[in-house]
Parts: sequence; C-alpha cells; structure tokens
Amino acid sequence: MGSAFETFRRLGPAAFVLKAIISVIVADVLLLGFILLRRTYRKRYFAKRDARLFELREKWDALISGEMPYATWRTKPSDRHLVETMVLDAFEVAGPEESARLLKFMRASGLVEKCIADARNHQGWRRHRALVALGRTRAPEGIPALAEGLRNRNPETRLAALRGLGQMACPEAAVEILNWVGEAGLVVPALPLQSALIYTCAERPRVLLPYLQHAEASVREVLGRVLGEVATPSLGTEILQFAEDTLPELRAAAARALSYAEPGLGVSVLSELAKDPIWFVRLRAIVSLGKLGRPAVIPFLLHGLTDSNRLVRLRAAEALMELNIEMVSIFENVAAMRDRYGLHAYLTALENAGLQAKLEAEIKASECGEQDREMLLEVLRSGTAPPQQHGSQQKVSVAVASRS
Amino acid sequence: MIYFLNALNQALFYYYLLSNLGYLVMLIIALKTSAAHLRHLESVRLHWIKGSPLAPPITLIAPAHNEEKSICVAVRNLLDLDYPELEVIVVNDGSADNTLQIMQQEFRLRLVRAVYVPQVTSAPVRGLYRSDVDVRLLVVDKEPGGSKADAVNAGLNAATSPYVCVVDADSVLERDALLRIMVPVLADPKRVVSVGGIVRVLNGSEIEGGRMRRVRLPRKSIEVIQVVEYLRAFLIGREAWARGNMLTIISGAFGVFRTDLVLAVGGYRSHAIGEDFDLVMRLHRHLMDKGADYCIQFVPDPVCWTEVPSDLQSLGRQRSRWQKGLLDVLWPNKDMLFRPRYGRIGWLALPYLWLFELLAPVIELGGIATIVLAACLGVLSSAFFLQFLLFGYAFATVISIGSVLQEELTYKRYNDWQDVARLVSYCFLEHFPYRQLHMLWRLQGLWQYLRGDLVWRPLKRQGLQSAGTN
Repeated sequence: MGSAFETFRRLGPAAFVLKAIISVIVADVLLLGFILLRRTYRKRYFAKRDARLFELREKWDALISGEMPYATWRTKPSDRHLVETMVLDAFEVAGPEESARLLKFMRASGLVEKCIADARNHQGWRRHRALVALGRTRAPEGIPALAEGLRNRNPETRLAALRGLGQMACPEAAVEILNWVGEAGLVVPALPLQSALIYTCAERPRVLLPYLQHAEASVREVLGRVLGEVATPSLGTEILQFAEDTLPELRAAAARALSYAEPGLGVSVLSELAKDPIWFVRLRAIVSLGKLGRPAVIPFLLHGLTDSNRLVRLRAAEALMELNIEMVSIFENVAAMRDRYGLHAYLTALENAGLQAKLEAEIKASECGEQDREMLLEVLRSGTAPPQQHGSQQKVSVAVASRS
Repeated sequence: MIYFLNALNQALFYYYLLSNLGYLVMLIIALKTSAAHLRHLESVRLHWIKGSPLAPPITLIAPAHNEEKSICVAVRNLLDLDYPELEVIVVNDGSADNTLQIMQQEFRLRLVRAVYVPQVTSAPVRGLYRSDVDVRLLVVDKEPGGSKADAVNAGLNAATSPYVCVVDADSVLERDALLRIMVPVLADPKRVVSVGGIVRVLNGSEIEGGRMRRVRLPRKSIEVIQVVEYLRAFLIGREAWARGNMLTIISGAFGVFRTDLVLAVGGYRSHAIGEDFDLVMRLHRHLMDKGADYCIQFVPDPVCWTEVPSDLQSLGRQRSRWQKGLLDVLWPNKDMLFRPRYGRIGWLALPYLWLFELLAPVIELGGIATIVLAACLGVLSSAFFLQFLLFGYAFATVISIGSVLQEELTYKRYNDWQDVARLVSYCFLEHFPYRQLHMLWRLQGLWQYLRGDLVWRPLKRQGLQSAGTN
C-alpha cells in the first residue's frame, strides 16, 4: 500500500482540491473543539473561583484586620489574586476611612509591594494587569513604577500605565503624566490620556497650566479639553491668558472656566469670546454668560440669538429663559431684531420652559403702547417676525449699547 | 459547449474560493480589531462620558409608522438611555393607527410652533409636540412620506444637536449604547464623522419594560439563521471594513452622524430604497471630493436589538428590498469605481460590493444552472461536483463558525449552552437550502428593480411587547 503522500501525488490537480477540503474540515473541527473546550474550562474555573470567593468573603473582616494569617492565602497565587481583586473592588466604593483601612491591609500584607514588583518585572498582559491593579490601590509609592511603565516601548504597556495613573486620582500622578507627555508627545490615543488627566487633575487643575503654555499643538489640544472639564474658580485670572489663545479648544476651555469668574471680568471676556469665529467657542461663551446670571449679559445673549449656528442660538435662548427677568423687554428686542431663526430659537426655549403663558400675561400688563402690545402678542401667537418698522433695529442697538 | 460548461464550472469554483478567502481575511482582521477594541475600552471610563459637560449633545431620531403597539415602551427606552445631553425626536410618519394619540396620553404632549427649520426635503409637517413629562422629547407629526428616509429628514429638520443618531422605533438599545458609540467621536472629534453600532436579533430574548432581560436564541430555524448572518455581517464584515476606513454602510437601526455633514449632503434621499447605505456612500463621496481627512467607524459593543422577520414571506421581501437598495446605490455611484480620487472605496470596497454582493445571486444561481445543464448533458464530472460542493460547504462553515467564535471570545451574549450548540449547528445548516432560497430572493430583488417595481412592502412584525414570547 502506497503512502498518503503518494496517493495525493498521483491525483494530480485534484489533490489540491482534496487538500483544501481536508484543510477546511480540519479548521471546522478545530474551531468547534476550541469553542467547546473553552466553554468547559471556563465553566469549571468560575465554579471553583466562586466557591473560594464565597469562603473568603465569609471571613472578610478577619482577613482585612489581619486576624486571619496572611500566609493562609498569600502563598497560593489563585487565592492571592482573589484577595487582591476583592480588595481592589472594595476600594472603588469605599469612603475615606474604609480606603485607609484597605490600604493599610494591602501594605501590611505585602500586596502593594507585590503589585509594584509585578508592574516592574513582568512582561505582557501580566505586567499590564499589575500596572492597572497598582493604580487601583491608590498607594502613592506605586507612582514611580507606573511612571516607568509610561516610558515603555510597548504601546499596550504605556496605555496600562496611563490607566493606572488615572486611577490614582491625585495631582502627583498628573505631574508624572504631564512630564511624560511633555517629553514624548502624544504617543497614546487622546481619549485615555484625557480620561486619566481629568481624574488626576480634578483636585488641583492648576498643575495643567505650565504644561499648557509649552506643550506641542496636539498635546495642548487635549490638555485644553481637560482644562475645560476640570476648570474651577480656583484658577482665578490665570485662565484669562487662554482666552486669546490660537487653539480654539483652549479658548473654549477658558470660556467654560470663566463661568465661575468674578462677573465683571467674566462678562467682558466672555462677550469677546461670544464673537469667536469657531462655533464651539461661541457656544461655550454663551453657556457661560448664561451661568453668570446677570442682567448685563442680556445684550450678548440677544446677539447670540442671531448666531449662524443653530446650537448657539438655542443655547442663547435657553440662557435668556433661565434668567427669567425682564421678559417683555427681552421679547421686544427679539421681535425688533426680525431674525426669523433667532425668533424661532427664542420661542422654542420659551415653550420648552413652559413660560409662554407668563410672557403673554406680562405683555398684557406691560406699560408699552397699545400698538406695541398688540404687535408683541401677535408675534408670540404667530411665531413670525413683525413687519419692518423704521428705527426698530436701532432700538436693539441702543438697548445693547446701554447695557454694555 | 462542453468546454464552455467546464470553464463556467471552474470559474464558479474560483469565485467561491475568492469570496470565502475574502471573508477569511476579514475574520482574521476582525478578531484582531475586536481584541484591540476591548483593550482600548478598558482605558475609557464610560461613566466619565456620562457625567461630562463636554460630551457633545445628541439628537435621537426615531421614525414611527403605525407603531401603536410598541411606541410607548420604545420611547421610554430611548429617554432612559445613559447620555448627558440627549434630545429624542419621534417622527410620526402619517400613522393610520393611534400612534400619536397614545403618545399624547402617555407623555402629555402639547403643541409647539417653533424649532422646525426645513433644511432638507420632507413631506409637510402637521405639528410639533413637546412632552410635559420629559422636556427632551419632541414629536414631529407629519404627512406620510412613503419612506423612512422622508421621516428621518423631518427629524433632521427639527434636530438641534451637532450629532444625530438614527434608530428604529421598534428596536431596543442597551442603556449604555450611546456612551459606547460616542467613544470614537470623543477620541477624535475632528476625523470621526460617523459611527455605526452593532445590530443583533431580538427575537426570542426576554424583554421587560423595553429593556433586555435575558438574551436567548429564537426558536424558529429561520430566525436562528438570521442570528448567524447578523453575527457574520457585523462582527466580521463591518468590523473589518471599518478597520480600513472602507465602511460603506451603517445600519439604519443604529448609527451616529455629524448633523452638519448629513445636512450638507441634503439629508437622506427620500426615495432611496436602502437609505442608510445611500447616505454613507454620499458622505464618502462628499468628503472625498473635498479631500477631507475623515473616518467612518464601527463599534461592536453598543448593541441595538432589533426584531427580524419570522416568516419566509417577510424575510423574502426584506432581502429582495435590500438587494434593490444595493443596486439603487451602486448604480448611481458607478463613477466612483477605480477612480484614484475615491481611494480604497473606489478600488476595493465598491468592486467587492459589485462582485460579491450585487452580482452574487446572478453568478451563484447561474453557476447552479450550468451544473444542472452539464449533468443533463452528461458532461458533469461527478468527482469535480462532489469536491466543489464539499469544499464550498466546508469553507463557508469555517467563516460562520468563525463568527460564532468571535462572539464567544469577545462579547459572549449567548450564555446558555443550548443556545451555543444551536448556533453552531445552524452554521452547518444554513447553506442548504436557505442559501439558495436567499439567492432567489436577491435575484428577485434585482429583477424587480430593473422592472421599476420599487414598491415598499410592509413586513410582518410582532412588536416589542411580544418579543419575549416568541
């Protein structure tokens, strides 16, 4: 009997097809086998894991207080991993006191050191897992190991280190990230970097400022978005330097931060930003003007109603509604502008806020002339701008000028 | 004649081989991309997006036509989605039933006048209603436009957000679906102009209060086969095409678009048969004509569950409509083929669609006809026929099982052993006679299109409330 190879050789071109058939059948069997084995393995693994988890959970207090000797679980890798997971999960929901207790346990049991060692010495997914776990411990002694991970050649390791530092949620971690970004540039995707920085800079947004001045354009853009997210009144006038920045993201961030500024200063800068050529900067400025909640912002919000961008118009109208003052005089100005889109935006916001009846009543009770009153009521009912009247545009300009 | 038949049979063999090899390459790319996506997602905190004031506002547009059975559940489901800045626009597309009245009662709608700016063409609007229960809900009541595209256009005219998400009113979105689908946009807002999410089969699963309670496979064979098809199409096809920025379709059941761009291309084409495919192609053309640096992405984890046809007649109608839609888009865009300006779309994606999607029913059914003819004439080599059949069958099952494996390794929605066993078994069963029937429906679609029969025939649906009782 000849060998299988000999048989194939004799088949000539048909052998190719036969081999192909055998290959795909083998592939089918392998795929099915893999699915089957994986399912079986996972089922057993999780059943065992759940049982052990339950045992440990029952002794939770003894475990954390150290009454249960560390050796009972430390020596077995699967148990150690379970305890680590349980403690790290507990961290996520723990208050300050509980966090301190958990951290004390992790230090005393050597889990923090183990995480640091793993984050430094392991490779591949083990290292990635250790880096993230180290971040979740929020132990400041882990920051240098995480910073080393940031400077690794492997992008996945860098990403894991970034995640870890983000979990630390402290300014020291932010400084490490910012130093690294300053050296290496944007070598990780923007979103994880942004996410990590938001968490680490929330406590002290000021740490961002020096880097914002000197970083390269792509990094500044990301930092600008972070600043927009974490800006607080503590930044004070320092934020003003970005109101005239070349990057729109930074101008938008400044606009957002200025909603917390001292009103006099805020209005003057935001009114300029509300004229920015980039729509999202104008949008942020209009929203911030609305948040200032002062009558002085009314002319700029009225101007926002005539913006070329629909979203800006709507936000300006919503901000006017939130002010909930001088409704008749504002409506008079809106009607006088004879801007159909602006009027639509205003009426939409009015209806959304359920203030239509209130405005109607106020118009009826207002002291303006009979003709004007009728005209305003008609505009309110029909939703269409009034016919052109001499001097109406001038009236708006005068109103804007008098307020500014 | 004999030579001709033999040549045709050989050509058919290589066509199958090429088609399956293409899918195999896509499977490998998809496995790699999914793993990378899952790793990437670990570093993104969805709850940060949820609480972020900088998350761009989204308008959800849900066209509804005669949806009285399920509209309230669907709208509540949409309003409950996790997203910081959300507006929900339900477009009542001239429903003949009580869709509007039911919504009026449930959501205390009141007539409002403003907000509607007719930037894209749509049938006349009868009225706009704002909800007193939830101010984020706006209902556009319009004259029947005869197409979903017309209804979506009305929603676009009323939308106020920089991004719009078009969903089907009879679909179920997972609570965090919007947060997940916006991850690529937040990562690269300048380049990402549109993102598609995955659509999965709702039939058979348990739904409670408009939310997915338990994922199960449907009971009917025809529905299970569609589960395999959806897994293959989304987890392999879309994932791989998106990896090369060559995604040409974003499902009409769930996709996010930049509003300004959709308006710039004139919104949805009212009489397009495959309006979702048509829009994405026009976006590609518009952006490539402008030389823009952009990308259209696919995210495999924001899930939209949708009801699929559960009887042969409805399925046949749906598939012939899809084929009509394909031709309706590919033919007007034939000038994009092999033009350097359209890059990979013109050189790879469109030729693939022409050869392996549009012409597939003609080639496959033509091939079967030549085999039968050769057999009748006594010139068919039985060895060749057997080998061809076995090879085509086994190779196709590799791809189908590969898509189940992809599901197992990544998202693992079907947890029940029984479900997985059935899913795998249908990977073997779908190729005969379903595949041939499918090809007939598609051929019928082509024929109807060429004859000018563009009538939209409604599909029989059970509605959200009964999905779990399948």
